[in-house]
Amino acid sequence: MTTQLRTPVCKVLILATLSGGYRGADAAGQSHLEYPSNSYILPVRTAAMFPPSFYLNAFQQGIDGIIVMYSGTDSPYKGESERTAKIINQTYVLMKERALDPRRLRLAAICTVCVRPFLNEIQKMNALLEEIGPAPRGLPTALIVQAQSAS
Amino acid sequence: MPDPTAESQTAAAGKINASSPAGAPRIGVYVCECGGNIGETVRCEQVANALGKLANVTIARHYQFMCSDPGQKLITDDITEKGVNRVVVGACSLFLHEQTFRKTVERAGLNPYLYYHIGLREQDSWVHHECPADATAKAIRMMSAGIAKARLMQPLAPVHLDADQRVLVIGGGVAGLRAALSIARRGLPVTLIEKSHFLGGHVAQWEHLFPTDEDAAALLEGLIEEVIAESKITIYTGAEVVSTKGYVGNFDIRIRVQPRGVAKDFAAVDQAIAACPVQVPDEFNFGLTQRKAIYQPYVGCYPASPVIDREHCTRCNECLRVGQNGGIRLDEPPVEIDLKVGAVVVATGFRPYEPFAGEMGYGEFPEVITLPQLERLLATNDRLEWNARPVRRLAMIHCVGSRQIEGMHAPQPDGKVNDYCSRVCCTATLSAANRIHTRFPNVTIYDVYQDIRTYGRGHEDYYVRACKNGVTFLRHLPEEIPEVIRSEKGAEYPLLVKVKDRLTWGEEIELPVDLVVLSVGIMPSPISDLVDMLKIAPGNDRFLLEVHPKLRPVETAVAGVVLAGTAQGPMTVQESCAAAEAAATKVAVLLSRGKVELEPYVAQVDPERCQGVGECVCVCPQEGAIHLETRIENGKMLRRAVVTAANCNGCGVCVSVCPSRAIDVQGWRLDGFEAMVEAITAETPALEGVA
Repeated sequence: MTTQLRTPVCKVLILATLSGGYRGADAAGQSHLEYPSNSYILPVRTAAMFPPSFYLNAFQQGIDGIIVMYSGTDSPYKGESERTAKIINQTYVLMKERALDPRRLRLAAICTVCVRPFLNEIQKMNALLEEIGPAPRGLPTALIVQAQSAS
Repeated sequence: MPDPTAESQTAAAGKINASSPAGAPRIGVYVCECGGNIGETVRCEQVANALGKLANVTIARHYQFMCSDPGQKLITDDITEKGVNRVVVGACSLFLHEQTFRKTVERAGLNPYLYYHIGLREQDSWVHHECPADATAKAIRMMSAGIAKARLMQPLAPVHLDADQRVLVIGGGVAGLRAALSIARRGLPVTLIEKSHFLGGHVAQWEHLFPTDEDAAALLEGLIEEVIAESKITIYTGAEVVSTKGYVGNFDIRIRVQPRGVAKDFAAVDQAIAACPVQVPDEFNFGLTQRKAIYQPYVGCYPASPVIDREHCTRCNECLRVGQNGGIRLDEPPVEIDLKVGAVVVATGFRPYEPFAGEMGYGEFPEVITLPQLERLLATNDRLEWNARPVRRLAMIHCVGSRQIEGMHAPQPDGKVNDYCSRVCCTATLSAANRIHTRFPNVTIYDVYQDIRTYGRGHEDYYVRACKNGVTFLRHLPEEIPEVIRSEKGAEYPLLVKVKDRLTWGEEIELPVDLVVLSVGIMPSPISDLVDMLKIAPGNDRFLLEVHPKLRPVETAVAGVVLAGTAQGPMTVQESCAAAEAAATKVAVLLSRGKVELEPYVAQVDPERCQGVGECVCVCPQEGAIHLETRIENGKMLRRAVVTAANCNGCGVCVSVCPSRAIDVQGWRLDGFEAMVEAITAETPALEGVA
């Protein structure tokens, strides 16, 4: 795996479900596979609980790329997959309205042993951030409030 | 022994009631060096020093092994002596030691949910060896995020419910029988329902079971005898679930039992069967033979009394004429029975893959059959003949209906191909090949395969034996599917199998044969109604999903519903029985005390914020988990969402749609995540001095 080891300026937030992505991240760690240290992995119960405003707020606060790593259609929670996809699609619309490149937010199905796909996702996000740079900040509060009510 | 820890901040003096979260958070932060696993990359002392400067951090330490007894004692001492009321540990994976530290804080009198775990080893030191400074800075941010969450944590209590101890086992195959017996022997009453009118499932159709070559009929007979002798087991055949309500410990389940149509003591069985004019393909023999509309699938079946197949019975009354009065009851209606059970074991089994018409000649040439059909052919005949001709050459083709490739294979009605390996068919095929060789040594056997996956203990012996028995193996690439065609008129053998054989470097070989056997894969039984009723989730391969394949291998995300056997994926009989035992243990542990304890991770509504919009109710996938209630407050009629904790699995879908942020999942609150993001992105003074 080719990895970019110097510390990138941008920050990547990874929301990783306990039944999927978080275990994939652990598996990568157990294999001692290096990846850039700008990735911060938060364990989540399901990916379906985050409204679009959460993502917009995160970009606003200083996150430059977000990867949602869940179990996809293999989620043990009925309806998680469809609901998460819907929320992410809603968020894309709101991101475009706010001049945020939608590619900053990725939804990826990562299983418990998906080490390579896990690393690929991080690499792809970092390559993108290298190309487009940090997320623009300074979103008017009104737009965040609007996003909250839209979600 | 000198204190090996480094205190970065002096703890506040005096004791505070540790069990009470009241007042400002007093957070104890512990950075584990994990021997050198973390400490050789992350400068743990520097991390602890930095974190000690953060608000609400009462004490920040680093230590060689936090999971060791002395390490845990540091935490308990800080709770009791320094008034720490929230604990954050950065160590190895949370899957390894989160529970360890929860118990540690609980021992010291603190609520175990006032603990937060950060995986510094797997997600920092082990993946950033090359950059210790970056790893150290990341550790500070990760731990800061944990501290930010800890500030907002509230004590939680598990949900306790009274539980009915009866267990419903759905499926009377080997897994269901095994599970029912095992549960009953642990003292819990069991209701076992089987959709067909006979117990035994597919095992009743096999002659021998690998890897022990055990007599399948004897094994099944013994198991059924034990089940029917067990007074705690109530059996309903011809029964299926029609509705479910409730939650773990308290499921209300209605089953519908189809009548057999034949009295238990009916004596003129043979005469009635002989009199029936109806002929339909016998599913027990996979359509190789015909049966009547009144039938018994096989000698020694249980229950022994025959059944009337209402779908095909023409009501000609011929059977009534030979039967004793009242022995046959064609108009008996189905009966519905309400059950109250504490847990459900889903053991609904599998069905063999049915090839499409024309797939490798199946349905097109009568000389193409499936492996299950071959098994019945061998079980019911002393000679190996097909279409009244002796079988001299036989080709067995693996992976039919398994490991399919999108675009190359026809999809199932749901649009998906079966891209999974059915696991058991390689050994099953080799087992059949060896038995044919033993019984009919003059038959030439070709085995056409992609890969031989004899994965289990003793399975490889079948391959070795097949090689010694002279079975000829031909190997093809997945995308070079063998072709089955009709031989030219007058040819000695009716079929030709064309294979591009990788074992002879791509030679195109034609095998003239009498019979082609398709080693078909396994698919889950069609149980979509049951899946919807129980709110359990099938995977991408349509088999039912467990919470985690290794750590919670038989539990579903719905508390109280567990899986046993091939409903969960392809398994051997041996594996099905092991899964059934696991399921039985799980429900016995759950229900044995007449009470169940559930994790507190369920949705919680803030009634002050809730506006009664009801979006949460609309999107909730769990029936009965959330509803709207109307109440009168200060003369105003208000609608508020109310969660039934026992029905909620904490999926959090409701959280994402609430316009007033009035609902959250306890322990996984949205504001906690927001605080963590803020900590990760903050220009924190904690990072000063870190390169």
